Amino acid sequence: MNAMKRMSAAVLCSVLMLTLILSGCSGKTGESKSEGEAAGKKTKITVWIWEDAKNVIDLNMPEFKKQYPEIDVDLHVLAQSDVYQNFLIAASSSDEVPDVVNLESLRLSQMIETGGLLDITDKVAPYKDKMNAYKWADATKDGKIYAMPWDSGPVVMFYRNDLFKQAGLPYKPEDVAAQLKTWNDYMKFAKQLKEKTGVAMLAESKSQTDGVFFQQMLWQRDLWMFGKDGSVQLDNPEVIKTAQYFVDLVKNGYVYEVKPWSDAWYSSFQQNKEATIVGASWYEGLLPTLIDPDASGKWSVVPMPKWSADDKYGSAIDGGANLAINKNSKHPEEAWKFIEFMLGKEESQLKMMKEGGLFPSLETTYNDEVFKGKVPYFNDQPVRTLYIDAVKNVAPITYTKDYPLANELITNAFAEIFLDNKSVESVFKKAAAELRQKTGRK
Amino acid sequence: MQNFYWRWQFKTAPYRFIAPFFICFVVFVFIPFIFSIYLSFTNWHGEEAKTFVGLANYKTLLTGREFWQSLLNSIIIFVLYVPAMLLLALIFASCLSSSWMKWTGFFRTVFFIPNITSVVAISFVFLLIFNSTGILNQLLMNAGVIHEPIPFLETPWWARISVSLLVIFRWTGYNMILLLGGMQSISKSLYEAAEVDGASGIKSFWYITLPLMKRLLAFCTVLSTLGTFSLFTEPFILTKGGPNLATTTPVVLIYKESFQNLNMGYASTISIFFFIVMMILSLMQLRLFREND
Repeated sequence: MNAMKRMSAAVLCSVLMLTLILSGCSGKTGESKSEGEAAGKKTKITVWIWEDAKNVIDLNMPEFKKQYPEIDVDLHVLAQSDVYQNFLIAASSSDEVPDVVNLESLRLSQMIETGGLLDITDKVAPYKDKMNAYKWADATKDGKIYAMPWDSGPVVMFYRNDLFKQAGLPYKPEDVAAQLKTWNDYMKFAKQLKEKTGVAMLAESKSQTDGVFFQQMLWQRDLWMFGKDGSVQLDNPEVIKTAQYFVDLVKNGYVYEVKPWSDAWYSSFQQNKEATIVGASWYEGLLPTLIDPDASGKWSVVPMPKWSADDKYGSAIDGGANLAINKNSKHPEEAWKFIEFMLGKEESQLKMMKEGGLFPSLETTYNDEVFKGKVPYFNDQPVRTLYIDAVKNVAPITYTKDYPLANELITNAFAEIFLDNKSVESVFKKAAAELRQKTGRK
Repeated sequence: MQNFYWRWQFKTAPYRFIAPFFICFVVFVFIPFIFSIYLSFTNWHGEEAKTFVGLANYKTLLTGREFWQSLLNSIIIFVLYVPAMLLLALIFASCLSSSWMKWTGFFRTVFFIPNITSVVAISFVFLLIFNSTGILNQLLMNAGVIHEPIPFLETPWWARISVSLLVIFRWTGYNMILLLGGMQSISKSLYEAAEVDGASGIKSFWYITLPLMKRLLAFCTVLSTLGTFSLFTEPFILTKGGPNLATTTPVVLIYKESFQNLNMGYASTISIFFFIVMMILSLMQLRLFREND
């Protein structure tokens, strides 16, 4: 009996412990702030950020510490997809960590939708006219602003001047810019390149495309998966024509088949498989480091091709990031000081451009010498002026919260077109119907 | 009074012993499950207010192609790998249990290692192998077997085959260990009697080992069924569920809807429906088992 008693006591104890542990789970972890305040009035703010974004923030950290010695910044590095997932969990459990979160434009409105971000309309007011106008659209919901723009990704065309020369094509930037003005010209260049050298014009995938090439073409034409009234536009005849262009490019054999951003994609550049990248300004940082480090001088830059020479807009946008404050943060003021210092201050933004290749959304920086600077990797071409021209010449498009879904449907649609040999029109009409059903849009 | 107290103590003791498990179960499984059922009727995207939309999600699911496609994919992958895997496991197990085999301990370990290695690591290695410019294509091209690289991850059928190969690599050893246990429990005297009657090794395998292993093989099949329908890591890393949904299993679908599109409501609907399908499948298999007895 005694043994019995002891046993039941043990069981009871373990049950008690368990309930304590379980109830502890839902409790808030508020130790981080008390520690900081006890140690000489320092406030600690936590920033969730991904690796390459942290690298450019680090450039400005010494200055920041000088100006705000009382703020202690913990830059917590997460994989990009983890930032969103973890923030979702933090927001839905009203956690006060992180204070600041790094968000890409293409997922920003989705995150605003969750209601976890702080309304910073008043704080960003002084910057309202200083930033690229299009950046505010995704940061706004019901007239309130929830994020501060960081960088933009104006689209240009990077090309291999040596391969162009080999194919007997114009290869100097000014000549290429004069003769490769439209997507039609792009196709002609691709034809000659293929015939003379056997090299493809670009690297893309039939069944695993990330949709970026096609979406940049849409953006340049002031088209998108969604119209200005929020309706689904995938079955718009002009969108279908644009998709048809990409399909033709592939079917003519001008595209080297490889999944974008896969290992094979990276190495294909070093193997001279393709001659152009139609992509955003941030390739300037990637080309000399990760993509094609040995090809210094072989790459040049010209403006993005247009659909037709008299188009209203000349370029598109790909990517770009923002910083936002957690609604439940205990230190919104300090968090804002950090954001303002990094993104609102011209010196900080210029440093990130110069040493990190991030093109600022802050337009007041565009008159700086940095943008006139010659870039050694591009044959001393002053390429950054092209970004400024491009960014001033884009349609104000919003990604909207349904972008991730629409993007996936586009990937699947192209896979179906190529794998099952179906017509672009039929597949895009089907995708449009699916998108309408799942988003409840018109 | 004292007596009553002890009787109560005695009666409730077993329940108190199993209480820890049930408390965990209720907190971590049962409550979230009920919450999921509630979510499946809402249009929740992570915001604070949840809008009730009735059966709209279920309608989307039943009329859309994704869910049915994902079930079909699971069935295809199942057909592709289970027979091959069980056959391999049988061959390895009978080799290991035969009398002429040396180093059995070593081989058992080697075959079991893939099962305890991190799935993510294995998937990434396979990604390098199956790539269009990967090791396997390079080898086959150099050997002159093929002239064009095989699109292992780019066309629906090859992608399914690649996922199946990865699953075979991971689970053959596990099934082998199960079958080995079964084989070693078969009495030696049966084989000795067969040998006296002049039956060859293959014959005794066919007429003694296989019939006695039937139930165990059926058990392995059931385990594989559950495993196939809840595949996630392998297809997600190899192909992200593509191309054109060809390797999207129900769990990949749930992940994409919840964390990529933030459609928590719809993702819950898929989970609930998937639960019902699995329930029916398991019940059917239990019935089959009973008839086998």
